[in-house]
Amino acid sequence: MASTNKVLMTYLLSMALAALPIVLLVDDAHWLNILAFTYLMGGLAAAWNIIGGFGGQFSLGHGVFFAIGAYMTAQGVIRFGWSPWLTMLPIAAAAALVAMLISWPTFRLRGPFFAIATLAFNEVAFVLANHFDSFTGGPRGLMIPFKAGFANMIFRERWQYALLMFAFVALVVGVSVWLRRSRLGYYLLAVREDEDAARASGINVLAVKLRGMAISAFLTAMGGTLFTMYLRYIDPPTLFTLPEVGVKFALLALIGGIGTIAGPLLGAALIIPFENTLRAEMANALPGLNLAVLGLLMVLAALFMKRGIVGAFEDARKRWFGKTGDKP
Amino acid sequence: MSQVMLQVKAASKHFLGLKAVDEVSLSVRPGEIVSIIGPNGAGKTTFFNLLTGQLAPTSGEVLFEGKAINHLPPHARARLGMGRTFQISKPLIALTALENVMIGAFLRDAPLSVARDKAMVVLEKVGMARLAMRRAGDLTLSERRRLEVARALALQPKIMLLDEVMAGLNQSEVGQAIELLQGLHAQGLTFLIIEHNLKVVRAFSERVVVLDRGRHIAEGSADDILNSAAVIQAYLGDGHMGKGGTDVQPTLAAKGERT
Repeated sequence: MASTNKVLMTYLLSMALAALPIVLLVDDAHWLNILAFTYLMGGLAAAWNIIGGFGGQFSLGHGVFFAIGAYMTAQGVIRFGWSPWLTMLPIAAAAALVAMLISWPTFRLRGPFFAIATLAFNEVAFVLANHFDSFTGGPRGLMIPFKAGFANMIFRERWQYALLMFAFVALVVGVSVWLRRSRLGYYLLAVREDEDAARASGINVLAVKLRGMAISAFLTAMGGTLFTMYLRYIDPPTLFTLPEVGVKFALLALIGGIGTIAGPLLGAALIIPFENTLRAEMANALPGLNLAVLGLLMVLAALFMKRGIVGAFEDARKRWFGKTGDKP
Repeated sequence: MSQVMLQVKAASKHFLGLKAVDEVSLSVRPGEIVSIIGPNGAGKTTFFNLLTGQLAPTSGEVLFEGKAINHLPPHARARLGMGRTFQISKPLIALTALENVMIGAFLRDAPLSVARDKAMVVLEKVGMARLAMRRAGDLTLSERRRLEVARALALQPKIMLLDEVMAGLNQSEVGQAIELLQGLHAQGLTFLIIEHNLKVVRAFSERVVVLDRGRHIAEGSADDILNSAAVIQAYLGDGHMGKGGTDVQPTLAAKGERT
């Protein structure tokens, strides 16, 4: 187990590496756009990974927390002219509270049943968002007027957004690294591995799950705030479409390596740019072809990289550099 | 300081019509080693689960150091000082052996470095220090059982409840395990064990309680119990009376091979 200093150095170095594309792409608006979105999705996948990967609670309802961040931020800006910088943390805390309230009963369910219940929450929220148009703008959505300025979190340059999203992903990864070396982090792993063994070790399983969920939802709502300020337009399909939001977070973490720190980022770094390129190159030729190719890629990943990119790397390293004493 | 560490007053557990545990009373004093034996299906593990809080009793009372703990969940009982192992061992397979024991050590010490150091000490104590970085999923059955004892020890318990911790081990492994438990007992730890292997019961326990069909049918010293007619009958049925306790052993040891 690495010492604290070594972990800190590894973290700083990998974050520096992750920030490099901003510098390289600083003049390319198209790619900066994709890059910003990649950072955002990487951060959201890493936030999901805290409860989904470390805690093993396969939530598909994180779209709800994402949407809470998005709608409340938009309302703060539109109605009251509040700066998103100031509202971001209180809104995230509200999302954490909601997460704990809806998780309390749901955590009685295990495995696929928990996943289905969270999926249902997402769909209910979708319907509610369409219905309560005084708060969400209903199907028409909400538009945030363009008033550039740091205080408004609205920028003229793409690289500024890329930097903002990078700060987000750096924060989420930082939290993950800290958590992975804390008692709560270890307890989440124990709960994932075996709840009975966890209880016998003095772990209050429900409390640990709730705390993990609260942290995860808090960070997810922050992602919702940033997403809203980036797009400046939100509507229910954007926030609740499962393949684009709730399921996407889980998917990116799965492809990269669920339960690892680097996994969600690698998943986002691979899928998001690829997806965008596919959409640009193929959608005109045959609508839906890009989705078919993406689907095929995911099937292949599920068949041949069960432990994601991180797992595949580890296996390759073991094969080539020995460590023969250990069984795979 | 109470004279009795763990006390059970007429505890019962009924599943629909089945009386899995039927008014069983038992007390364990500090520093004692008490074994629970009985044929398969006698209700031993169910009884254990009443003590650890995995199951709530239908009636009766469980007291730990004089306080009723009937309604405490398992994790709260662990905090009070009850460590347990499971009949089917439950290693956290994706974690290393060291991390498994750290999960236990975190109960008393939140800082990572302290928990890690304490976990390492416990691993050394159970003779698994060289396996610290091995994934628990890659350990042998015997090592997994040892690891589970280590994880429970890291809780710094007052009493250890071991559910068939020797099951599936070979002769020399059983010998090592007995040595380990005797060492821990010498340091003042109290034990309540479920054991199928009568060699272990004879070598290790001070008092033996026999359960049969959910009822407490006999209690006494290991030698008395293993030669008692009622116990032999409970295990083997009628018609084995003349053979004496020693013949019982191979049959029962074979029964314990489940994993």
